[in-house]
Formats: sequence, C-alpha cells, structure tokens
Amino acid sequence: MKEEIVEGRKRLEGELRKLVGNVFVPEAKVFGMACGCIGFAADLRGLQVDAVEVFMEKITALLEEISASVGVKPEIIYARKLPGSEEVVVFTTRELCERCKKEFAGSKAPPRPDILILKKKRQR
Amino acid sequence: MRFIVPHPGHFAALKEIIEAKETKGLGEVKEVYMAGSPEVMGSGRATLHSVRIADIKEQTDYAHQHDLKMNIVVNPSCLGGYHLTLQGYKLFTSYFEELNKAGVDGVTVAEPYFVELLRDLPMETVVSCIAHVDSPQRAEFFEALGADTIALDTNINRNFPVLEAITKAVRCDLKILVNEGCLYKCPFRHAHFNLFSHITANRSTLMKSQSTNIFSDYYFDKCISIRVRDPAQIIRSPWIRPEDLKEYEALGIDSFKITGRANAVNWIINCMEAYARRSFTGNLLDLIDCPSELRYTFHVDNELLDGSIKQWKTCKKICDECRYCDGLTGKVLRVSK
Repeated sequence: MKEEIVEGRKRLEGELRKLVGNVFVPEAKVFGMACGCIGFAADLRGLQVDAVEVFMEKITALLEEISASVGVKPEIIYARKLPGSEEVVVFTTRELCERCKKEFAGSKAPPRPDILILKKKRQR
Repeated sequence: MRFIVPHPGHFAALKEIIEAKETKGLGEVKEVYMAGSPEVMGSGRATLHSVRIADIKEQTDYAHQHDLKMNIVVNPSCLGGYHLTLQGYKLFTSYFEELNKAGVDGVTVAEPYFVELLRDLPMETVVSCIAHVDSPQRAEFFEALGADTIALDTNINRNFPVLEAITKAVRCDLKILVNEGCLYKCPFRHAHFNLFSHITANRSTLMKSQSTNIFSDYYFDKCISIRVRDPAQIIRSPWIRPEDLKEYEALGIDSFKITGRANAVNWIINCMEAYARRSFTGNLLDLIDCPSELRYTFHVDNELLDGSIKQWKTCKKICDECRYCDGLTGKVLRVSK
C-alpha cells in the first residue's frame, strides 16, 4: 500500500504537469472517515478550475486508476476549490457511507459551492 | 411563523432548495440568505462562494418568482477599521447600493456603523447575531440605529425572561437562530468570529493586506475537544428542538433562522423540512450546525428530550448548582459505535 500511495502521488503530479504545466502535489493519502466513507485524496498547488474542466475526462480516469491501485473504488470523484476562488486545492475519490450517499452525493446540485464534481456514480 | 433558510451560494443549490420547499409543501419557508461578496468584505462564518452582483440579481429574481425573499449576509465582526476610512465608506456604501439595485430584500450586518449606512436604503436592515444582542438595552440601541430586525444572541435562546423583556422593549422584528450548536457562553466566540472575518476578507481590496496564513483553527479544534471530553456541553448549547418552536411563538417571536450555510445542500433541505414540520425523529445532532461533525461521535435522541424545554424556560443558568443538563446528558446522549 505504501508504495502505491507514493507512486500514485508521483504519477498524478507527472500527468498533471504534462497536461497543464507546473502543478505540485505535496501530499497524497488514503483516508477513513468517522461516518464510514473511505477514499483517496491528493493535495494540489498550482491547478485551477478551468484546467480541470478542460481535462476532466483524463483526470477522472487517472484518479480512478490511482484509487484502484490503493484499494479504493470511488463512487464520487471531486475537486475542492479554495472557497470563492478558482484555485483547486484537493482531489478526492470516495467510497460513500449510506449517510453520505444521500446527504453529500444525493443532490443534483454540487453539495457545496467549493466542490466541483468530476464523476458521480448514480445511486439507486 | 416564518423560516429563513441558509443557501450555500451557488445557483444550482438555490434551485434545489426551492424545489424541495415546493414539493414538500413547506409554505412557511419565506426567505433564503447567503454570504455577500468576499471581494468586498468578510463574513462571520465560512464563505464557500464568491458571488458577484449579477449573480445575486439573477438568484434574487429567481427567489422572487418563487415567493421567497433574499437576504445577503455581510456580518464580519471586525473590519480592522477600514469601514471608517473614506475608501471604505465609498466601497461599502456603493456595495449596499448595488445590492439594493439587484433587488435584494434585506442585508444582515453586525457592524453598528453599517446599520446606520443602510437606513437610507429600502432593504430590510437585519442585525446579525454576531452583534450579540442579549438584553433589552442593547436591542433598543440597535433599533435606534435603524434596525428593522434583530437576530438575537443565541446565548439567550433559553432565557425566557430576557427574551420576553426584549419583545416588550422594541418594536422591530426579532429573529431566533434555532440550530446553532455553539458552546453556551463560549469563551472563543468573539475571537473566532474575528478570525473568520479576517480570513474571509482576504480577497477584499481593502483588507487583503491583513490576510493570514494560520496553522490551525484553534477555536474550532478546542470547541470540539471540550465537548468530546464533556458531552453535557452539547446539551447545554442553546439549540432549539423543532417541537419546541411553539414556546417562542407564545412569546411573540415567530421568525426562525436555520443556520448552516457552509453545509451540503441536502443537509440544509433536511433541516428545513424538520423545522418547518416542527418534528424530527432521530439524532438531533443531524440538525445542529457549528459543528455538525459531532454527530459522527454522539447520538442525541430527540424524542427523549421531550419536556426539557420546561426546565430551560425557568433555568437560572447557574450550571454548577443546577446540573440538570448533566443528568439529562446521561439519559439522552450516547457515544456512537
């Protein structure tokens, strides 16, 4: 697992640099939340919303592959912006707990204005 | 009764909140509020969206089409003195004029000077709970400055003699925040609001020189830790159960503000429905904002709280002698597994 996280961080940073130029991924981690969600998150510096929108498909596929390599099967993938700005500061992929399926991912609108949804698995 | 509902700021969220209000038949939801533009000034709470005047106008028009009023919250507790400079005066007066032109119905402010600046505009001037109006005397001061409505300090939510005295002292409307879960008499309250006021203003042309790169939100972390160690503090917080709103109506207070504009859209919709229906079954912490993360650690059975309002209505607020909330905590709160 440790090697996969390290490799995932490096790969994400490398691919983002190829796509949009100088981007820094200072930290990547696998997390488990109190509510029951688990996931993969990568902190970002230098990336902006318009670049994510342009390369959404490629970035989403890349995040899915990295997530799979660390054992996460994401039901939602999103970018979090610095509130009120265009700076993207985190990519998160998440397997959702029952509560967050309804509350966080259950709205048609993004759950919060600082969240940019890249992919969401349809809930039944 | 009227409910004032939080709106995170993005148009898609407003549409979904309104759709829920209409499909669920929540006719007493009369108003939404959202943060103003952080490019102009900060706010007492987290601001997740940078809303422009054109966007405010579009959203206000949409709210009006659905019989909802729009209130813009610009309630920093500290402006670092910039509001009293000529540059600040020009910026803030022109911003208020732009909000008025956009059709906004009301503006919520904490700064007394802004209450005076707003009195010449037709928008409703709402004094924020961050102005800490906790007595008839302070309410009278703000009314004299030009307040149309006062959102009362949440610390007096369970102090019925003071609430009643305020209703008698002023003629302006009064509003109560129902689901703020802050610590009762929180020692961090002023400092935390000041911190947010500066952090959220870091894009303001006037205040950006004060932008801060903090290592942690000390007040938030302490607040959570205090309650994890002493869960009775959760029960002591001045939230109001949906079932107990009638006690406030009996005092003549019938405007209820739901807090939580930094939460997810569906969280807001759930709160809106529970309060509008005056009924909720389950973990009360699912409705409580500031902080909402305690619901992952604790379960507070709302039904078991039936009748506790009778004690709180007459409570002398001397916890060390009373200990009612400590006993109640043992009955209604458990640690989630």
